[in-house]
Amino acid sequence: MPERLDVHVDHDRCVGNGMCLEFATGVFAHNARRQAEVVDPEGDAAEDIIVAAENCPTAAIQLSDAATGEPYEV
Amino acid sequence: MPATFTLTDDLFAPEVIADPYTYFGALREIEPVHRNDRFGLWLVTGYEELVWILRHHELFSSAVIKRVEAPPYPPVDPADLPLFDEIRDFRANQLVEQDRPEHLHQRSVVHGYFTPKAMERWRPFVRAAVAEILDGVHAGGTMDVLTELAAPLPVRIIAEMMGVPYEDRDRLRAMADGILYINRGEPHRLRPLVDAVRGIVDYASPLVKERIVEPGTDFISVLAEGESRGVFDRRQVLVNTGLLLFAGHETTMNLICNGLLAFIRNPGQWERLRADPAGMARLATEECLRYDPPVKSTQRIAAADVEIAGRTIRGGEPLRWIMAAANRDPAVFSDPDTFDIGRQPNPHLSFGSGIHYCLGATLARIEGQEVFRGLAERFSRFELATDRIEYQPSLQFRSVKSLPVRWSA
Repeated sequence: MPERLDVHVDHDRCVGNGMCLEFATGVFAHNARRQAEVVDPEGDAAEDIIVAAENCPTAAIQLSDAATGEPYEV
Repeated sequence: MPATFTLTDDLFAPEVIADPYTYFGALREIEPVHRNDRFGLWLVTGYEELVWILRHHELFSSAVIKRVEAPPYPPVDPADLPLFDEIRDFRANQLVEQDRPEHLHQRSVVHGYFTPKAMERWRPFVRAAVAEILDGVHAGGTMDVLTELAAPLPVRIIAEMMGVPYEDRDRLRAMADGILYINRGEPHRLRPLVDAVRGIVDYASPLVKERIVEPGTDFISVLAEGESRGVFDRRQVLVNTGLLLFAGHETTMNLICNGLLAFIRNPGQWERLRADPAGMARLATEECLRYDPPVKSTQRIAAADVEIAGRTIRGGEPLRWIMAAANRDPAVFSDPDTFDIGRQPNPHLSFGSGIHYCLGATLARIEGQEVFRGLAERFSRFELATDRIEYQPSLQFRSVKSLPVRWSA
């Protein structure tokens, strides 16, 4: 598991279920359209961010290793 | 709406069961958050109001079965009433009936199994199962879509997901059919339901023991692993096995039957699908989900006093939101009563929204896509072999009692 992750939310997929806000409270917040935004990619441990991405019902969260840029598949 | 139109307060009135769209659509126009005193229920029919509620899950409890003491409705044989508590206990233990934090702990155990990516790997199996079933019916010229296609397909898939040995398929099928009585109106329905629930517990118990010792990649192993990690107790593992068997069965049946019925009644849309079955299947399935959704409504209990659309719902009061009505809200969908398989975007609420968003949504979509595609590739035309479609008397599910059709190859 990478130590630090780059986190991207695909707004074509995000329907604002808010699951990620439950698992990685420090990283994600909802914008005015109630889609998830990354407010602080280091707001939670990488482990929690991965759980948040795994639990997204629409697979809208994309992760990559911050050090190498390699995509991290969940 | 004509001035003489008066809304009944009987949510089980035959005309409301037959056509929930006219009734709940009228309610949506008059009062998107409405109090029905006869059933002691708030009814939410507006899209915006419904989304607001779904996204404020902390204000609404999902522990409905645990907290609502009402007797079964439609009524059951009084002699069977003691069975109702057994059913309540079974259902109250399902993960969908939990609130935070238990709900999220339990959901995250099973979520990995249902991710869009993981489910996509099932598509070839689903496609093959559809083909096999359609090969079997192809020669006839008539079929009951419900019993010959829509019911057996999901059970076949669930059996595979559970890792049920081939020779046990008929037994699982019988239990799956019994569990469908949750959604029926017959006064004697609790007996077959209890038999099915006890049957699934008896059947799955040794499988769970086996898979605790030797886990596989099946769904029961996933639940068993949750038990090993201390998230589920044994009862919850068994109950949630039953949940998969019901939730994945009733809903998929309804998607297939309601969708095909919409195509039969809208031949232009059927021709559009037939022109490009592989290309149109995805959007067409979304429109089937929106237009005549498998689940019409879902219930919650207000956890605190909530102000919405000028009404105050008091803490402890039950509410039911009607996705079937919100999916046709003209504020969000143009021509909402038109079945248009090219509709995009299509932000229907048929899988809910928020942290209880349907876990099986991707699987349901794959099943719908493969069925509608498979049908459109094989058959040029369907017509109804009945002049009357009847529905189960349920507030929650939109379920035909049968769907007899004739086809031309």
